[in-house]
Amino acid sequence: MDIATLGGQLLGQIPLGDIVLYLTPFNLFMFVGALIFTTLIAISRTETQVEAEFGSLNDNEVKVGLKEFKIRRFLAVVCGLATAGAMITGDVFNFTLLVALIGILNIGIVSAVKQIDVLNAAFQYGLIAMIASLPLFGGAAIILASTGTLSILEIAQLSFTTPMMFFASLLLILGIAGETGIAPFYATKAEMFRTPGSPFIIIIHLSSLLVIVRAIEILLIINKPF
Amino acid sequence: MNLMANILLNVLIAFLIGSLLYGLQRKVMARIQTRPGPPIIQHLLHTLKFFIKESSFPYTAAMPFYIAIASMLCAIWVSAVIVGPVIEGSLLLFFGIYALQKIVEHNAGSSSGSPYGKLSCVRAVFSAAAEVPLFAVLVIIYLQTQTMVISDIINYQAVNGPLIFTIPLAALMFFVLILSKSPDSPFAITKGKDIVSGYETEHFGVLRGYLMISESIAWYMLLWVFLTVFIGPLGILGYLVGMVAISVLIAFINATTPLLNPNHSIMVQITFAFIGIVGSLVLMMVM
Repeated sequence: MDIATLGGQLLGQIPLGDIVLYLTPFNLFMFVGALIFTTLIAISRTETQVEAEFGSLNDNEVKVGLKEFKIRRFLAVVCGLATAGAMITGDVFNFTLLVALIGILNIGIVSAVKQIDVLNAAFQYGLIAMIASLPLFGGAAIILASTGTLSILEIAQLSFTTPMMFFASLLLILGIAGETGIAPFYATKAEMFRTPGSPFIIIIHLSSLLVIVRAIEILLIINKPF
Repeated sequence: MNLMANILLNVLIAFLIGSLLYGLQRKVMARIQTRPGPPIIQHLLHTLKFFIKESSFPYTAAMPFYIAIASMLCAIWVSAVIVGPVIEGSLLLFFGIYALQKIVEHNAGSSSGSPYGKLSCVRAVFSAAAEVPLFAVLVIIYLQTQTMVISDIINYQAVNGPLIFTIPLAALMFFVLILSKSPDSPFAITKGKDIVSGYETEHFGVLRGYLMISESIAWYMLLWVFLTVFIGPLGILGYLVGMVAISVLIAFINATTPLLNPNHSIMVQITFAFIGIVGSLVLMMVM
């Protein structure tokens, strides 16, 4: 299996001990995209939501308080960095670790908001994300057990796919779907987006979509359909 | 040709043709609804007009995100032109670009502080949940051609014939995705008239100009990818005829179909995705 058939020509590798990062145009674009968004989040202030007041002609302005702003910005920046890391990592365990971290940070970004509906949605999403961590790490563990390595570059060079690798991929899909809150888990997550703090909630959406795109690449490499 | 000149030329072509195709779509829709409709160059003129209008920013906006996000949308679709017609790179990268575009669409809505933009933002999250499964079309193309690189897919079709005949349900999935991006489509929940113009409501002047340029390039790129990946190597005339035909077909669908409510829109898209994925896999195993 040639990694270049998926993300384009291999531009280079960054060996950091056991951890080997690799770069194709696909990985590089996603990595840079995540970093640009993270930088913007770090320097932005939040919007003021304007809502019509019930029973009068006045407007109700919903703002983010300074204390809440600081903690949410910190969590959003860490989430952006974790997402960027997940885009270039060449190791399945690191990928799952960063995805789990993204799930935790997503809950944190929303649970700092003092709105009952939003907190309910965050609680439900949190339950799913926590449950999903079991198949997520279980999938990575089974891949290690069945291939002897967690390196994506090594797995790409294997000439076989065993049923256990396929089973591990199914667990990974389940784990990633739960952690990122995609369909069929998206309903509770969308409710979380009603909260103010636009630059912070965007990282929740950004991390989910980018992780899914990267997961497609990793799963195709593991399963080697050809 | 020099790479930079190639990029500039392709971006210009994408913008001009995309704008005219949008104009054509509005004209066809108007004629179907027995209205005279605007001239075909209206969308192009409309876009240019915004660059000489005064730019104003809501005091409630999240600065500088609110400004950066509109320019980023433009940059993202210019990247799509580079990945597509210029270097014929990876479809997976194109998917990454599409994902980033969904995020920008989301945040353009929420960063203004407007309730209409906010609703559009929540709908963008819903629609992303439906459009991501539709993008499973890439995996089906990969399983059929053993590559995600556009130039290799073109070569595959030159030898084995157009993919639209071997994986027609995947082509249908991609068509639904294109339909979702049309501003008057039944799936255009993020720009529904019930929420004014959704995420575009609070963007004026130059920022609106950027959004409109991005829309035109996006339309051209989606049609280009569809024609290239499913029909195969085409000449300039082939691309033009194909783009006009798909735009007219979509205009017909738009003119005769109401905007679905968000839940129905997502269920219909996910149904198409499910039929497309399962049907394509069954077809590939049988054939």
